[in-house]
Amino acid sequence: MLGFAARRLVVAAFLVWVVASLVFLVIHLIPGDPAELLLAQGGVAPDPATVAALREKLGLDQPLLLQYRDHLLGLIRGDFGLSLVDEHSVGAEIALRLPRTLELVGLAGLLATLIGLPLGVLAALAVGRAADRILSAAAGLALSVPVFVVGTLAVLVLAQELHWVPAGGYVPFAKDPLRHFTLLLMPAGTIALGLAAAVLRVTRSAVLEVLERDHVRAAQARGLGPAAIVRRHVVRNSLTPVVTVLALHLGSLLGGTVLVEFVFNYPGLSGYLVRAVEARDYPEVTGIVLVISALFVLLNFIVDLCYALIDPRVRHG
Amino acid sequence: MTAIALNRRAVLTGAASLPFLRIPAARARAPGVLTFGLSSYPPTLQPWANGGTASATIKLMIHRGLVSFGPDGKVQPELAESWSRDDDKAWVFKLREARFHNGEKVTAADVQWTFEQIADEKSTAYFRAEMQRIAKVEAPDERTVRIVTKQPLVTVPNWLASFHMPIVSRNSPKGGAIGAGPFVLKGQERGVSVDLERFEGYYKPGLPRLKVIRAVAYADENLRVAALRSGDVDLIEYVPWQAMDAISADPTLKLDAIDGPFMYLVFNGSRPPFNDARVRRAVAHAIKREELVKAAFFGRGSPLEHLPIPDSSAFYNAEFKNGWRYDPALSKRLLADAGHGGGISCSLLSTAQYGMHKDTAEIVQQHLAAVGINVTLNLPDWATRVNIGNRGQFDIGVMGNAAESNDPDGLAAVLDGSLAASYVRSFGLKIDRIIELMEAGRSTFDEGKRRAIYRELEQVAIEQAPMVGLTWRSQGYAMRKDVSGFTNLPGALTFYSGLTFETAATA
Repeated sequence: MLGFAARRLVVAAFLVWVVASLVFLVIHLIPGDPAELLLAQGGVAPDPATVAALREKLGLDQPLLLQYRDHLLGLIRGDFGLSLVDEHSVGAEIALRLPRTLELVGLAGLLATLIGLPLGVLAALAVGRAADRILSAAAGLALSVPVFVVGTLAVLVLAQELHWVPAGGYVPFAKDPLRHFTLLLMPAGTIALGLAAAVLRVTRSAVLEVLERDHVRAAQARGLGPAAIVRRHVVRNSLTPVVTVLALHLGSLLGGTVLVEFVFNYPGLSGYLVRAVEARDYPEVTGIVLVISALFVLLNFIVDLCYALIDPRVRHG
Repeated sequence: MTAIALNRRAVLTGAASLPFLRIPAARARAPGVLTFGLSSYPPTLQPWANGGTASATIKLMIHRGLVSFGPDGKVQPELAESWSRDDDKAWVFKLREARFHNGEKVTAADVQWTFEQIADEKSTAYFRAEMQRIAKVEAPDERTVRIVTKQPLVTVPNWLASFHMPIVSRNSPKGGAIGAGPFVLKGQERGVSVDLERFEGYYKPGLPRLKVIRAVAYADENLRVAALRSGDVDLIEYVPWQAMDAISADPTLKLDAIDGPFMYLVFNGSRPPFNDARVRRAVAHAIKREELVKAAFFGRGSPLEHLPIPDSSAFYNAEFKNGWRYDPALSKRLLADAGHGGGISCSLLSTAQYGMHKDTAEIVQQHLAAVGINVTLNLPDWATRVNIGNRGQFDIGVMGNAAESNDPDGLAAVLDGSLAASYVRSFGLKIDRIIELMEAGRSTFDEGKRRAIYRELEQVAIEQAPMVGLTWRSQGYAMRKDVSGFTNLPGALTFYSGLTFETAATA
């Protein structure tokens, strides 16, 4: 088991290095010069001598290979470098924003499970009847409406018309816990809507499949009540695909909450990444993508370990 | 059918009940506190660098220069209480009793130090190039600054009024510029908000009137409007054009919008076909600008058929008002004269990142097609657009800009082909007469003579089309009715409106 874990860890480290190098290369290859952009804000003409001075100051005049070496050496030291725009520490900014994104994604996942799971079981138990049809239709609708539509409508109705909640923003938990959660609820709810629909669908089909299995029929034959069967023998056995789907979605949300962040003015990691790309802020882009992909790789590593624990054949495969 | 009717009724009933569920005045507002909805988080607050308009607005809260622009658009005293010309090549500024945020006096030595930082070889200051026109800065006494220029230079006060030219304490720590403006920077939540507090030692008695300004970035324009309407913020900048009608109609809000910035076309003059003035003029006469105003700016703007000199300016020339009027027959004739009777195929560079740039490009494309100029749109993101614009990898480019001041010299960045290549002006297009006239305008002190110089400049520009005006566009601030003292400054100075935060107040 230990050998297996070590092998997977080496592969994971290799993957992170590949991602780091690819991102570094791609962001440097696409057109756009951070120095030029930095001096060209607000649609005015930068002086070429000033641009050259800034490029030199930022180290962008160095050969790409040298910049790559410095970048890798920095990463090994755990140093993501400084923003080209305002010399702010990239590592510190990621440390500030990553927890916000994790909180947003986490709450969205929790809400989605709380809503999607029971409704999915309900739909499966009522298969073919009105409740099932209504729930399935609602899930279809929730899945097909883009988050920015839901978000914009939520702002319009809840903030602008009803004045129930502020129109987006962010307040640190330490400053005002109540407002912190009020502000978190709208973006999390918006993400949760589509996610809950996905959970509902997977749960429904998983439960339907388990209901057909022999052990359920055996339980019925033993004379167990329907509630006990569902609780003890159906739901637990249907959870595996639900967890897999949820984990997949949450993983992709790590870097994919940009629309929701934009609509609700939520200062998370994705919006930061988009702005970094727009400004061609190389250290920021490489730093953020590296952290997100490292989390992905870590997630996969853990999943691999779990499979190995469950099924010994994987260890020797 | 019944089900649909029921649903419709349910939805309508729900909607009708919304006003009853509404909680009025959701936010308890602290007196003297103003929340300002910025269009983007300032990328830098470095005092002399150009960090865009959001940065400039915050800089105008923290800093003051020797002079600034008044509500009438004229240069007005700030840290300098008066100024005069010594001879043709020297300007003398008399400083007033003013203090920096650290309590120290603003002295001539600080002004000297500031100029040195800007002119420094490694400086990234916006005015670094202009500083090369200055021979030396003298400080004969603590309260007097004498600026000696290499050539006679009439535009010195205009430069010094720029938000990129604030006076900073020579004792500022590295990376933390200490200013003398009405507000002190108290805190920054990077990417989210900037907090400012009243500077008690500000040199204008009784000002600023606000205690605290909290500037919160709302990058999404619709959310910015929603935040104003829900009472989260008191004042917003960059009001989206499509929201202007609704804001004007709202009894709790007011809109302050003026035509300031403008949209225009630039050309690649380094190669055919746009090295030929006739082809550039053909473009100028092919575009029906009313349609642009309607489609790209929701009617919030006005056609621009001449150089972007507003009709309120002393340098406005009414005779050129329709210099580039819509006349497709003339366009076709000009193309035929230039040997392109069979039409032209070329590229039109704009950006998909900003709606107004993209919409403008699409409408221009249609109008050009009608006279036989078939353009292929190139709509990369802004960063790429800037990059290929600076390198001249385009034929026609769509741009938006504002003059640097209401003086016609503020159009130098757009018109002066002797300056280094830049995406804001045509590429490789040097029109000698325009360069000479720009230089003459800078070094002529007599108002009447200057007017004559810029009249000739506009005439040459209409004939040569170094750029082509498209539309003025409305630039708006919106605020709650109880916000007073904040004013949208006229014309090109709209981005200087942040100056008036010192007189702003909430009820």
